[in-house]
Amino acid sequence: VSLPPDSSPRPRAGLVEWLERRVNLTEIFSFLTHFGVVYTPVDTRQPLREEIRSIAEQRIPAFAVGPRILGLLAAILFGLQAVTGMLLAYYYRPTPETAFESTRTIVRDLPAGWFIHQMHAWGALLLIAVVVLRLLRFYWDGLYRPPREILWISVVGMAWVVLQFDFTGHLLGWEARSYWSTMRGMEVIFALPIVGPILAYLLGGRIVNEDVLIRFYILHLLVLPLFYAAFLYLSFATLRRVGFSPMPEGPGTRTTTFRAHLYTMMIISVIAFGLLVTLATLVPFHFHAKADPYSTPEAVRAPWYMLAPYGLLQGLPLPSWMTGLALVLIAFAVLLMPFWLREERNAVTGRRLRAAGIAALVVWIGLGVFGALLDRK
Amino acid sequence: VYVAGSHPSPAANYRQPFRFDFVEARVPDPESRGDAAAPVGDRRQFLTWLSRAFLGLWAVGAAAVVSAYVKPPRRGEGAAERTVRVGLLEDLPIGEGRLVRHGVTPFHVIRLDATRIVAVSAVCTHVRCILGFDRERRALICPCHDGRFDVNGNVVSGPPPRALPTYTVSVRAGEVFVHL
Repeated sequence: VSLPPDSSPRPRAGLVEWLERRVNLTEIFSFLTHFGVVYTPVDTRQPLREEIRSIAEQRIPAFAVGPRILGLLAAILFGLQAVTGMLLAYYYRPTPETAFESTRTIVRDLPAGWFIHQMHAWGALLLIAVVVLRLLRFYWDGLYRPPREILWISVVGMAWVVLQFDFTGHLLGWEARSYWSTMRGMEVIFALPIVGPILAYLLGGRIVNEDVLIRFYILHLLVLPLFYAAFLYLSFATLRRVGFSPMPEGPGTRTTTFRAHLYTMMIISVIAFGLLVTLATLVPFHFHAKADPYSTPEAVRAPWYMLAPYGLLQGLPLPSWMTGLALVLIAFAVLLMPFWLREERNAVTGRRLRAAGIAALVVWIGLGVFGALLDRK
Repeated sequence: VYVAGSHPSPAANYRQPFRFDFVEARVPDPESRGDAAAPVGDRRQFLTWLSRAFLGLWAVGAAAVVSAYVKPPRRGEGAAERTVRVGLLEDLPIGEGRLVRHGVTPFHVIRLDATRIVAVSAVCTHVRCILGFDRERRALICPCHDGRFDVNGNVVSGPPPRALPTYTVSVRAGEVFVHL
């Protein structure tokens, strides 16, 4: 069989092209980068190298580089948590009899076990910080307005999910303070009307025992990661569809390439990783004593993110179902903000909304401080 | 130069569909690879090399930490567990054997007559199945491949490649101890 002469320029024959003839690599690349890196449309009909080159050479506005690091960091830190968490799960045993001992074995006896444990703990805190900052940034820039409703919902959903990661993860070590802190947190959760009984049913009851521990374990290892990955996918999928935020008018807008943008992100990620290693090594979290369900240590508080609801529940002279209902309504009002906040955004309303946001944040922090001071003797 | 308003929409980015003609790649001729040999500054090459070396070092460090952590820990091999208390001598009749389930080194304790007791590993040297003690034949028999050992651990028949390890037995105050 004689073939017609082929004059089109081809990429160098190699492994990539060999694979490309058998699977659609661009499709796989598009799927994987939905969880974190690329938020411009990917044409899956192009071969991988050409597509990567054309993505890298896309011009994007220079101002869009800085704030976008938070989405990538949320993805990278989640990957790091997945790896360290999987390593911890190699030796961890989720029963009340063995949870503390197996965690102590990891922290004390295994080579580098303390490091992996501390990386997981500090990574969790950093992930919460990144996700919450991302939420604040989205509010600040008004990125909940059409057509970004799904983006907002996925960002709020991620914030909910990371806090639940933290809540379920703290119990797993079966350490005295975290055990009792979980008990205090459950007290807040179960005070909420409607949501409380449902959660008590799903979490295995109101008493923290072996049933609750194994459910927290499965939530922490399987259910919540799936939700987090789904929200990550959703937020990048909708970014690909709706594109960058609108650019300011005028011919003077500075642009840069996606490639330069990716380099900036890599540098910031390396710095974040260095920060994490430094914190894990120099400022380790404590890991003291096994939890004893028959003895409560002094001055145990609910987890820090539950202090504001706790302050509200305890501080107001109202029946707790009323404040609880208010809390549930606030949570859903934030989630569904794009659907009721229909104000046209201009300079004036924008300033007003930002001021309202700051006021809400200050009130929330104030309530948290109040909740932290409530039980002090 | 970027001009405001001329930013292409995602739809405008769509190119013609690309399709592979399913022909195996042929070896490219040397002329067409000329672009790869474009002049590159020494400094850029050095920086590329440096960043790759840095990433490589980082990967080696991460791999070292992870592999040290993942290495299967050795359990139950402390000095305190090298002497195993088996039980009272009078509970072990002559001709009887008993399997002692001791960690990764289970063994049979067999009383041969009034004065002789032996301890033989219960792990077959072939594929690590647990041997059973046959009282009539006075032999250790493997349920997996019917390998047979005598009570001193020597291979009698079957696939096992080596004799079984035997352990020292002592009797103190009517109690049987095995020293692993």
